[in-house]
Amino acid sequence: MANQKKGGAVAAVGGFFKSVGGFLSDFGTAFVKGDVFVKLSAVWMGAGYARRRQYAKAVIMTALEAAVIAFTIVFAMQYVPKFGTLGTVTMERVFNMQTMKSEFNDYDNSFSILLFSLFSFVIWAAALVIWMKNIINVYRLQKMDEAGEHINTFREDLHSYIEDKFHITLLTLPVLGITVFTFVPILLLIFVAFTNYDQQHMPPSALFSWTGFTNFLSLFGGGGLTTTFSYAFVRVLGWTLVWAFFATFTTYIGGILLSLLLNSQKTRAPRFWRTLFIITIAVPQFVSLLLVRNFFSNGGIVNTICANIGLTGFLRNIGLVSTSYIPFLSAPGWAHVMIILINIWIGIPYQMLIATGVLMNLPADQLESARVDGAKPYQIFAKITMPYMLFVTGPALVTDFVKNINNFNVIYLLTEGVYTTTNQAMANSQAKEVDLLVTWLFRLTQDYYNYKMASAIGIIVFIICAVFTLFAFNRMIGNGREEDYQ
Amino acid sequence: MRVKKVLACTLAAATVMSSAAYVSAEETISLTLWGAEEDQTLLGELVEEFKAQYPDQTFDIQIGVESESTAKDTILTDVEAAADVFAFASDQIFDLVNAGALLNLEEYGEVLSMAGKTLDDVKAANVAGSVEAATVDGSLYAFPRAADNGYFLYYDSSVLTEEDVASWDSLLAAAEAAGKQVGMTLASGWYNASFFYGAGFTNALNEDGTTAMDWNGTSPAGYTGVDVVKGMIGIASSPAFMAIADGDITNQIAGGQLCAVVSGTWDAQAAQTAFGDGYAATKLPTFTVAGEQVQQGSVAGYKFVGVNGYSVNSGWAVLLAEFITNESSQQKFFDQRESGPSNSNVLASDAVSANLALSALGKQAEFGVVQNVGGKFWDPSATFGELIAQGNLSADDDAGIQEALDTLVEGVTAPVE
Repeated sequence: MANQKKGGAVAAVGGFFKSVGGFLSDFGTAFVKGDVFVKLSAVWMGAGYARRRQYAKAVIMTALEAAVIAFTIVFAMQYVPKFGTLGTVTMERVFNMQTMKSEFNDYDNSFSILLFSLFSFVIWAAALVIWMKNIINVYRLQKMDEAGEHINTFREDLHSYIEDKFHITLLTLPVLGITVFTFVPILLLIFVAFTNYDQQHMPPSALFSWTGFTNFLSLFGGGGLTTTFSYAFVRVLGWTLVWAFFATFTTYIGGILLSLLLNSQKTRAPRFWRTLFIITIAVPQFVSLLLVRNFFSNGGIVNTICANIGLTGFLRNIGLVSTSYIPFLSAPGWAHVMIILINIWIGIPYQMLIATGVLMNLPADQLESARVDGAKPYQIFAKITMPYMLFVTGPALVTDFVKNINNFNVIYLLTEGVYTTTNQAMANSQAKEVDLLVTWLFRLTQDYYNYKMASAIGIIVFIICAVFTLFAFNRMIGNGREEDYQ
Repeated sequence: MRVKKVLACTLAAATVMSSAAYVSAEETISLTLWGAEEDQTLLGELVEEFKAQYPDQTFDIQIGVESESTAKDTILTDVEAAADVFAFASDQIFDLVNAGALLNLEEYGEVLSMAGKTLDDVKAANVAGSVEAATVDGSLYAFPRAADNGYFLYYDSSVLTEEDVASWDSLLAAAEAAGKQVGMTLASGWYNASFFYGAGFTNALNEDGTTAMDWNGTSPAGYTGVDVVKGMIGIASSPAFMAIADGDITNQIAGGQLCAVVSGTWDAQAAQTAFGDGYAATKLPTFTVAGEQVQQGSVAGYKFVGVNGYSVNSGWAVLLAEFITNESSQQKFFDQRESGPSNSNVLASDAVSANLALSALGKQAEFGVVQNVGGKFWDPSATFGELIAQGNLSADDDAGIQEALDTLVEGVTAPVE
């Protein structure tokens, strides 16, 4: 089993390199064996098409080539040459009394340089692939021409994009979107982690520069930062994982139990109850969480009630509480438990909805035969319902875990402004016991402009999520486990 | 952005060549002004008056909403895109100057002459503390607009007498006797510094942006930090004391459990409603340090109007900022918004002295300190206050208190990255 899994991963990686290798060798063959027009295509991308009378394509490729060259000269050359230093010219300003205007020198902005250089690299990488693909294509045309085969007209080519090449038409926009809105920002995040972009080096007034692995060293206790940064990091990471585990499984199990309860034939008015639970989803979390935060604050309504019924006094007497209120959301331990409980309240309805859908598709014959064989309800739950649920919702469970690692809303809305840490070592690194990596990261950037450390933490979060997801997906849905349920 | 700037420079150069006129009248001057949401109507009126001052010049002035308390966060996100003129709270000035988001006004003396003033006139017109707070490295970086960003004591005079509110000891004793509580925020360096400042301790900002702090030593007045903390523990451990979470004060005033509370002018309405006829306000009480009564200090906070360092029409922007903060504008801010003026003349007017909250703030101003701290100050100092609020420090554990103070100072003075 383990070998097989390893084999799968290796095969996937191997397959990727194989296809890259295939592409490169195709290109090599095409370039070497192609005629003069194929070779000319390396300089003028429309050459090969023009020779095979595909004039529209020739024009398009030429225009594309011109656009890339224009982009390079007009735009990229402003930034890319400075990529190595991230800029050297600091801002200078002179006030001109005649015009009442400030006049600025042509100063560098490290952030723009970094961002637009990365953008240029992406464009160039895409252009390179298109250029190579172009040579392969015109070589194919050359061979078709030599063999006397029919060469598509432009109209026929266009037509193919809604016929056999329809997938390309469909995927173009999403791929572009992912590149611009996801891929470039992630690249940026990764690169910022290797710079000193922080409050002392904030563009446009100051420049930042490359610093190598310094930020990662200090994250893991290599010094350079506050002495407590790695101390705080370990604790925040610990709570992040504990939280993600409990938040995922409590709502998962709770959701299944609740939907079983609602689906049970003994439950009256199941629709009414279901609607009631869904209302918690309908109210935006910003509203409900802030309200709940106020309910449970030190001077909130829950505390008033607890004080009035004597619960606070009782807890003080047995030594659980040292303050005149119950620190529901303001002391470690208390806050940790409360946050998980409140998350159950807002998380279960989602899981209930999913579970209801899955339960309705439970193979009825299996349940029936189990019942005929005399299985008890608990046995049916443990042997049929749960395995089936786990199989169907496994991927969703993994996604939930990853989502919970980055569950900003619940933690931030419940604790910001209410929770003040009493751990001085944490405070000295701007962290709290209830912080997830993502909320800590948020405050580091928002309040302290510490972009470099936030990026380093972001990369760590990304690695944790990626490793976990790969591992869990492989385990849960790899290797033909589907057959168990066919 | 770059293109815009180059264009602006060329345009500027072209105008210089085409006419030697003092100001080119044909060009429309575009400016953006950011102010608090509740000030929008007034700002609109002031902008119209400003335009009327310079009838030869056409303006296009846009007014946007940005609270003084969050101005820094928004501006530093993209300085180049931020407003030309904006209002902000005085504690943000170091970060803003550091990020180049504020113009050094010392370079704009000549511009102010168009408004018939010099920079020294501006400095002289406003109370000394506000000018001090707006000055970084000897240069003025913003125009003081209000001096109401400080705190003092609201109390219910039907429960507490004037003698009661003179010291924390008598205040807490009287409150306990009445079955009420006295509220203050401890878990914030803005509030809890008042005890240390009162005993003569200080904060300062170093050249490299780090914060200097002497709270773990001995103050010039001869008190040790440990003594001050013991005084704070004495207050916080009283059953009549309520440690209020930062930002929860208004709620707690409305809660009805309090007979006195440390807060600022923004809670005047809430306090008036809660205390009714007993509504009163005064300076902060004294507290016990090493057996002596020491006047509790406070942080003197101001509201400023500054000009963006990346503003192209910076000359007109400076004039607009000055106009919004001049004597007559501050008078309007007081009349319409009950905003405590920083202008000495407006401050001295009868109407201002008749305002209970503002006059209490005036009494406390004598003990107010301009808080010069960097970003690293806030989390450790909030945690330190919370330690006291939750009773985690014991008054007879000198070593423990000293250790906590040392950790606090270590965190606050840590290098800025």
